[in-house]
Amino acid sequence: MRQVWVAAALVGSLCVLAVGCNNNPYPEHDAELKVLYSAFSTPHRSLDPAEAYNVSAHRVTGLVYDTLLEYHFLKRPYTLIPGLAKQVPTAEPLEDGRVRYRFTLRPGVNFAPDPCFELGGAGRVTREATMEDVAYQLMRLADPALNVQVRDQFSNIQGFKQFHRALIERRGADPAFAALPAREQYAALGGVEGVRIEHPHALEITLHSPYPQILYWFAMEFTTPVAWEAVEYYDGEAGRERYADHPVGTGPFGIDVYDKRSRIVLDRNPHWYGLADPRAPGAHYPEEGAPGDAEAGLLDAAYVGRPLPFLDRVEFRLEKEGIPLFNKFLQGYYDSGGIIKESFDQVVQSERLSPEMAAREIRLQKAVSPGIFNLGFNMEDETLGVPAGDRGRKLRQAMSLAVDSEKWIELFLNGRGLPAQTPIPPVISGAPEGYLNPYRQVDLDRARALLVEAGYPDGIDPATGAPLKLTFDAYEVSSQSRPERQYFVDEWRKLGINVELSSTTYNEFQEKVDRGAYQIYFWGWSADYPDPENFLFLLSCAMRKSTTGGPNSANFCHPGFESLFNQMEVMEDGPERRAIIREMVAILEQERPWIEIFNGVGYSLAHGWLANVKPFGMSYPMTKYLDIDPVKRARVRLSWNEPVVWPVFAIAGMFVVGIIPGFRTFFRERQ
Amino acid sequence: MLAFVVRRLLFGVAVVLGVLGILFVLFFQVASPDDIARRALGEKARPDSIEQWKANHGYDRPLWPWQDFEDNLLFHHYSTMLSFDFGASDVDGAPISQRIREGAGPSLALTVPAFAFGLGLAVLLGLFVAFFRETYIDTTGVFLCVLGMSVSILLYIIAGQYLVGKMLRWFPISGFDADPAVLLRFLALPVLISVLSGVGSDVRFYRTVFVEETGRDYVRTARSKGAGEVRVMIRHVLRNSLIPILTRVVLAIPFLFTGSLLLESFFGIPGLGSLTIDAISQNDFATLRVMVFVLSMLFIIGQIATDISYALVDPRVRLE
Amino acid sequence: MAPHVLSNAIVLLLLVAAGFALRFVRGNRMWRDALAQLWRRRRGSLLVIVAFLLVGLLDSVAWTGGQGQDALAAHEARTVIDRLFQGDREASYSAPLADAAFYGGDPLAAPGGHWLGTDILGRDVLHRTLKGARVALMIGGLTSLIAIPLALLFGISAGYFGRRIDDAIFFLISTLASIPSLLLLIALIMALGKGTWQVCLALGITSWVGLCRVTRGETLKLRELDYVQAARALGVSHGRILVRHILPNLMHLVIITFVLMFSQLVLSEAILAYLGIGVDGSWGEMIDQARNELSREPIIWWNIAAAGSAMFTLLLAVNYVGDSLRDILDPRTLRETP
Repeated sequence: MRQVWVAAALVGSLCVLAVGCNNNPYPEHDAELKVLYSAFSTPHRSLDPAEAYNVSAHRVTGLVYDTLLEYHFLKRPYTLIPGLAKQVPTAEPLEDGRVRYRFTLRPGVNFAPDPCFELGGAGRVTREATMEDVAYQLMRLADPALNVQVRDQFSNIQGFKQFHRALIERRGADPAFAALPAREQYAALGGVEGVRIEHPHALEITLHSPYPQILYWFAMEFTTPVAWEAVEYYDGEAGRERYADHPVGTGPFGIDVYDKRSRIVLDRNPHWYGLADPRAPGAHYPEEGAPGDAEAGLLDAAYVGRPLPFLDRVEFRLEKEGIPLFNKFLQGYYDSGGIIKESFDQVVQSERLSPEMAAREIRLQKAVSPGIFNLGFNMEDETLGVPAGDRGRKLRQAMSLAVDSEKWIELFLNGRGLPAQTPIPPVISGAPEGYLNPYRQVDLDRARALLVEAGYPDGIDPATGAPLKLTFDAYEVSSQSRPERQYFVDEWRKLGINVELSSTTYNEFQEKVDRGAYQIYFWGWSADYPDPENFLFLLSCAMRKSTTGGPNSANFCHPGFESLFNQMEVMEDGPERRAIIREMVAILEQERPWIEIFNGVGYSLAHGWLANVKPFGMSYPMTKYLDIDPVKRARVRLSWNEPVVWPVFAIAGMFVVGIIPGFRTFFRERQ
Repeated sequence: MLAFVVRRLLFGVAVVLGVLGILFVLFFQVASPDDIARRALGEKARPDSIEQWKANHGYDRPLWPWQDFEDNLLFHHYSTMLSFDFGASDVDGAPISQRIREGAGPSLALTVPAFAFGLGLAVLLGLFVAFFRETYIDTTGVFLCVLGMSVSILLYIIAGQYLVGKMLRWFPISGFDADPAVLLRFLALPVLISVLSGVGSDVRFYRTVFVEETGRDYVRTARSKGAGEVRVMIRHVLRNSLIPILTRVVLAIPFLFTGSLLLESFFGIPGLGSLTIDAISQNDFATLRVMVFVLSMLFIIGQIATDISYALVDPRVRLE
Repeated sequence: MAPHVLSNAIVLLLLVAAGFALRFVRGNRMWRDALAQLWRRRRGSLLVIVAFLLVGLLDSVAWTGGQGQDALAAHEARTVIDRLFQGDREASYSAPLADAAFYGGDPLAAPGGHWLGTDILGRDVLHRTLKGARVALMIGGLTSLIAIPLALLFGISAGYFGRRIDDAIFFLISTLASIPSLLLLIALIMALGKGTWQVCLALGITSWVGLCRVTRGETLKLRELDYVQAARALGVSHGRILVRHILPNLMHLVIITFVLMFSQLVLSEAILAYLGIGVDGSWGEMIDQARNELSREPIIWWNIAAAGSAMFTLLLAVNYVGDSLRDILDPRTLRETP
């Protein structure tokens, strides 16, 4: 009798399980809200606008912090528009070679409500942002206590470096000074000379030498107004959070839940300046766009001119693995997403969306991203670099000729990339047009001939009589991406060169860098701003890894290139500058510190219920322009996610059928 | 008895000190503070920021007492750890104790049900297989157990997410949310995978225990008195096997807190397991150090508790 | 000395050692019976293990020269297994026994020649899987080469000499055993660096403790046996007693523990591979590389299936043999250890 009860209970619980199944990761009560669901892959180290420096963190900080300038949502090439500033300033050259920019702040810009403002007076929950807050943030950029990765880019501001050094010296010499709040320390040192506040809504920035790209930095969160109250209040003591985990800004959204290892929720900021002033350029949907935008439905009358933002809430969920993320997108639980390479053929067929996806009203958008991936040689290496003179150059040229990036792009990116010709991606205005790098077109015969000239016939190193042995450092490469590196090794094998793929841990690699003991590496760079300078500086002497710890891991330092770079850096875009860039590219073509591999082409998918999607490419979120149709989304999700229950019964049935003969044998034998 | 308890406790303290010693050598001597700093600050960090960072985190002291008796990392390491002052993460400066408190909930939410279901299922299946010992059900059962033990946990997770999450759409593929409306949904699949992947070795163990027990005299006596086989299994065999079962359970309890490293990582559950995995992948030595210490402490406490309770039950143990 | 010469020498050494072991087993009744019984019970599993061992050995015998797939191959030492699979490198994926590439359908260099298909770089999957056997056996072998002597040395001296030595060693193993083994393993590898030797060393350090406990306990018991006591009373030296009376009586425990440990080691390596600190060319690495391929459309299953089932087959056989060995050689001591 007992067995029957057990069996009944088992079947009963299976039925309950089968009926109660539901794969919706969100609470049902949110279904009708305009919530944008999005994902992040690693916990953010810091959301401090002075420190946050990656696309993933900017997708959060970009919503919380407004910037003085912004990028136009639709126009291409990239165009700056006023954000918190009243207009985009122009450079005023001063007599001694200095340059001045004047920013004016809109009135009525308020911080999102936060308890930290009690510091400025009891009962306060918010206050107006002024240029003092922007100046404060600029001084924070110079503060050595903060891990500011773009500090060098601001060093053209007059007195910026001196301020940085003064902070180090005073703090080292005077412990009482070091114990003061940062704001009082800055004030005691008199601030940065080139940052002057004329009145609370006017700021003057003076550069000691021209640097036209500075304006782009004012379209990034590094220069947002920061409330000193927030920095001082959120100090990580006595149960308070750290400022890096508790952003307080003037932006259209404010952080509601920040559970950095699981989810981030942002709600509308009721004090956002755009709500009071919808005519501001950054506060309403643009009236004009780039060619093709109207056809793509991006200039829909339902949106043009309407005040932003459209969403009620933005939620980010931690998704470490690409496959679950993509599958959840397909199930309708994320509103937009990229395509993982594994599912590419399911989604895209002969450059168009597959019928299956199109039937789900998913839309596909492509855009060349302003970034580059390249192989680099350590130019200080005895065999490959400058010390090897002409032999080294010929060896690099030969190795460059052997790498077929088109096939690499085909294999590992499903063709979503352009074979790169120069360090500058073709979407950046000022990049050499129609240029084909002769050393980036595969030619094994020529490569072999160059090897003979370099003194390595058939890859044999005459010094040892064995194939030339080189090391390719793939540090921190997961086994997932190991084949991507193995590919290059196999390409060089064809020349008879024995390149060893050495997988090291981060620390081992750093040690090699310290000793200068690395030879070949693979690396990528994504634009901070759309200017060739932001790519060519990666090969300038001042950025050498070996001497300054900068991002020039190739340690390339070429006098001709350097002087051209110094000229180009301070020029505005134009035929003259383009000619100089051409010359620089010609030097790189011969010298081959890099083997340019590809510029990515971003393929992004969006569901039918998400409106106003246009790929942007740079690290600047356009979330405030997005809109969602939640009713449609809820309906479609239900129809896509019907659970399949028959296997439960099948397994239970198989189990029962499997043990029946056992009972029979058992009772025959034992009773 | 008291002497035994005191001796056992003292030994436990000595082991804790030993664990700290091993941690110190691994995390300060072998992986130097310079590495840690560089890792925390990113590749673009300049030498002056590295020095600054080391000073901020107290890593600028000399390592050993003979270099500076007053102020050295070894003493600092022991004193902070033993006073449970775990400090801040190397990577983002967040307080580690708070991280651990936050992570314990999600970890336990996953491991406790997984452990309870796993134990129940394993004992049930163990009884079941032992009941049918020496029939094809037994052979098949043992075969399935060994089969289950020979499959990598990676494969279980991959197959589980693919089949249950993607094809059958029973539960979300991954994720976590403390909101009770959706919590159970998120836990169902990892719990299922955890139970399935662990059940093989458990069933095999319990089967051996039960089968051994069925051969004993008292079982035969009970049977000869006319007790039914089912009754014998539950009243006699199960009851008398409780000691080995309990031993296994007690030793497994500390591991409930560790969470499950891979499961949490794959499913995005913000527990102690994924905290540890994140610490590993970001070279967050401070967090890793604390995690190893805390888990070792729990394990040592569990063992002491087991030993003392044994001694209470069985006086012979004390003499050993 | 070139690495392949060393590897060849080790193979030779292993073969000689195996020959001696075989002679010993034939001369010793207990072991002969045990082996015969094992053969009767688990013939299939034993054959599987022998097959994997054979592949591992064939993949360790290498020499230079001969025609290879490219210019470099002629200068490289290639193993017997490598030589069986040369000259048919494809461009990218192809299905098992297919005549054309999986995507695009271009004709293959070796139509129908890839029994288990090719991977993303066009490498033969059967080739990679077979090479994985050597890595798995290396992990097991090297690790036990580190762990077993350590465990015996410490276990026997603790059990035999007792007192201070026992206290010290007991403290050491309790300390090591208190640290969760996976974490200790990871910490060790992060400290030691990546690579086959490092991983094996770390695995060795984390896995000797269990065996040490067993040998310590067993030595404690053996020490009290009459004939050992008699030998001591007769003034036989410690060294002689240890070698003559204690060590031989521990061998069966060592063998059983080693076999049972083997599957744990290979499974641990798979987890390390996921964390990016595994051994190059292992099945764990193959599984980790292939897991995302399940999402391709049409699905690419042969990579993960090949690595997964190779690992599974070997472990299943090893687990079965280990179980039977335990039943045959020692029905008592190890029963309670899970």
